[in-house]
Amino acid sequence: MLRMTLAILRKDVKLTLSRGNGLIQALLLGLLLVFVFSLSQGIGESLSARNAAAVFWLSSAFCQVLVFNQLYALEEVNQSRLGLLLCQRPIQAVWLGKAATGFLMLLLAQCVFLPATIVFLGQNLSGPLRPAFAVLLLTDAGMCALGSLLGALAQGQTTRESLLSIVLFPLLTPLLLAGTGVGAQAFGTADPDGPGAWLGMTCAFDAIFIAAGLLLFPFLYAGDD
Amino acid sequence: MPAPNAFWNRKTTPLFPFALFGGLSFACCQYLIYCYAPTEAVMGLMQKIFYLHLPLAWWALFSFFVVFLGSVLCLFKRAPRADSLCAAAAEVGVLLSGLALLTGMVWARKSWGVWWTWDPRLTTTLIMWFVYAGYLVLRGLDLPEGRKTRMCAVVGVVAFLDVPLVFISARIWRSIHPAVFTSKEGGLEPEMKLTVMACLLCFGFLWAAVVWLRKRQIDSLAALDRLARTGATAFDATKE
Amino acid sequence: MLTLERVAQRYGDNLVFKNVSCTLEAGSVTLLVGDNGAGKSTLLRIMAGLTRPVAGTARFAEPTLKIGYLGHATFVYPALTAFENLLFWRDSHGLEQTEEDIFNVLERTALAGRARDRAGTFSRGMAQRLNLARVILQQPDIFLLDEPTTGLDAKSRAMLHKEILLAREQGACVVLVSHDLAQAEPLADRVFCLEKRTLVEKACSRRKQTPERPCCA
Repeated sequence: MLRMTLAILRKDVKLTLSRGNGLIQALLLGLLLVFVFSLSQGIGESLSARNAAAVFWLSSAFCQVLVFNQLYALEEVNQSRLGLLLCQRPIQAVWLGKAATGFLMLLLAQCVFLPATIVFLGQNLSGPLRPAFAVLLLTDAGMCALGSLLGALAQGQTTRESLLSIVLFPLLTPLLLAGTGVGAQAFGTADPDGPGAWLGMTCAFDAIFIAAGLLLFPFLYAGDD
Repeated sequence: MPAPNAFWNRKTTPLFPFALFGGLSFACCQYLIYCYAPTEAVMGLMQKIFYLHLPLAWWALFSFFVVFLGSVLCLFKRAPRADSLCAAAAEVGVLLSGLALLTGMVWARKSWGVWWTWDPRLTTTLIMWFVYAGYLVLRGLDLPEGRKTRMCAVVGVVAFLDVPLVFISARIWRSIHPAVFTSKEGGLEPEMKLTVMACLLCFGFLWAAVVWLRKRQIDSLAALDRLARTGATAFDATKE
Repeated sequence: MLTLERVAQRYGDNLVFKNVSCTLEAGSVTLLVGDNGAGKSTLLRIMAGLTRPVAGTARFAEPTLKIGYLGHATFVYPALTAFENLLFWRDSHGLEQTEEDIFNVLERTALAGRARDRAGTFSRGMAQRLNLARVILQQPDIFLLDEPTTGLDAKSRAMLHKEILLAREQGACVVLVSHDLAQAEPLADRVFCLEKRTLVEKACSRRKQTPERPCCA
């Protein structure tokens, strides 16, 4: 299963990054969101740390929807999906491979979104960074576990972007709250509770939805329709 | 052959007593609400909304639990009849949670002077309303039968797994102290407690009747669709 | 090697076929014929495990048998080169072939000269040859072909037929769906026909044909 996962990861990274607008579209959408929110600042003002963190995660969420749609669309050409189904090995490898690719792409995109948030929204990283980074990774992992599962659901639909957004976003609320809470602390908002509770919550989210992904993916990624 | 619309139809028998008992007993509950239970000192008459709000919210959550159970049956037992139950329960759940949100807003306006408060339970209800509204959109898609059943079942399972996480995160988010929790329910007069219990129970019968009726409608619609598609051949077969 | 037991399939309310039972042996070529819409491709997909039948089962002698499937869809990633396509196929299917083996297979399918070109630049016939290369690389125990000659020129068709016979020699169980009876029939050991919503064996094969049992064509 690991070999198949790695093969899918390699192929998807290659196809996403080698094609002209692979990640660019998702990146631009996220950047635009940050920019549009920066317009809400008056002269000399800057967005509160909590608002800025929320904008950062909103950009990441939209970017993630586009990334997973694109990753699953790769298998729509020439019905390659059926080719993968012929593998006779755990089909969860596809879920894991796509989730891993999505995770890498999301991290790459966030490398752009974070500086953009700092610059456009007038923030600085003055809070505790280590727990913030841990929550960032955990949140991304959870988003990708669920995104990879639901991306398979939206595959082949004409309205897949909007469909994926309306189903995925409310489900991601706990993660977005965690990301925003800890992000605000990283941008310098003091919080007496600290990031501990959020860390626990994101761990629980990841555990539940990684298990759900492994269990439920074969039902979505099947041949017969 | 029984008339298709008859309440006494063999297939609908559970529907009639449930609807009748639910309706009558909920009417009796009005007596408990307005005459038996004392009027609350601070909120006044507006507090009575609580007796409707709580059953709405609880049975909405129970509907979502039924969707979860039905989805598990669909996926692991391949039980096709569970699919229409999920559809019915989800619709009723979205309706009830929507009403619970509205009554909650009225409560918040009177109690705290604002239309909306980010109380964890109200927040959870709102997010669940969004999740299951998305689920209903998914149900409305024109897809092959088997694929749609599986897709909806997966979302039905995932959505319910999300409920506790949403609730916990909403609590951490608001740094909620338990005081807000108990202010609504805790310290209830025994009469109020009894009234709430009665409302909850009676509303359950209404809930069951509505879900049952809707499930039957969905099943009939599917049967009619099938008949429309194969009508000609089925008709020929009966003639033979 | 492959046993179908009382397999039935329906699309919506339309019964495609029912009571389809047969056993296919290793080292044989089976031709599957029938009218348009009789369900030949559906039956082949059930054999491949891509479609679950509404009733009955498709069982393999061993669960680890490798299934090669060559259909209308080429499963080719247009943005990858021919070589990369095969490399991905090797890794995703857990095959042990070396990169040299991959070049050999490309040679066999007359694609060696275009190994480093993107598959998106290939014609339909070339893409189908790459598809064939994919199956050859896999060395399948069960080789399922759904109208494989669509889009192939005479030379490529001959190449395909050679590969089918080679696979049979190596002990594979080959199932071929084809409209082109004149071309496909000489290859076949057995011929099955999907008619009246079930599967009927016809005695017209090269090995079994007798004057009393004329060919179904």
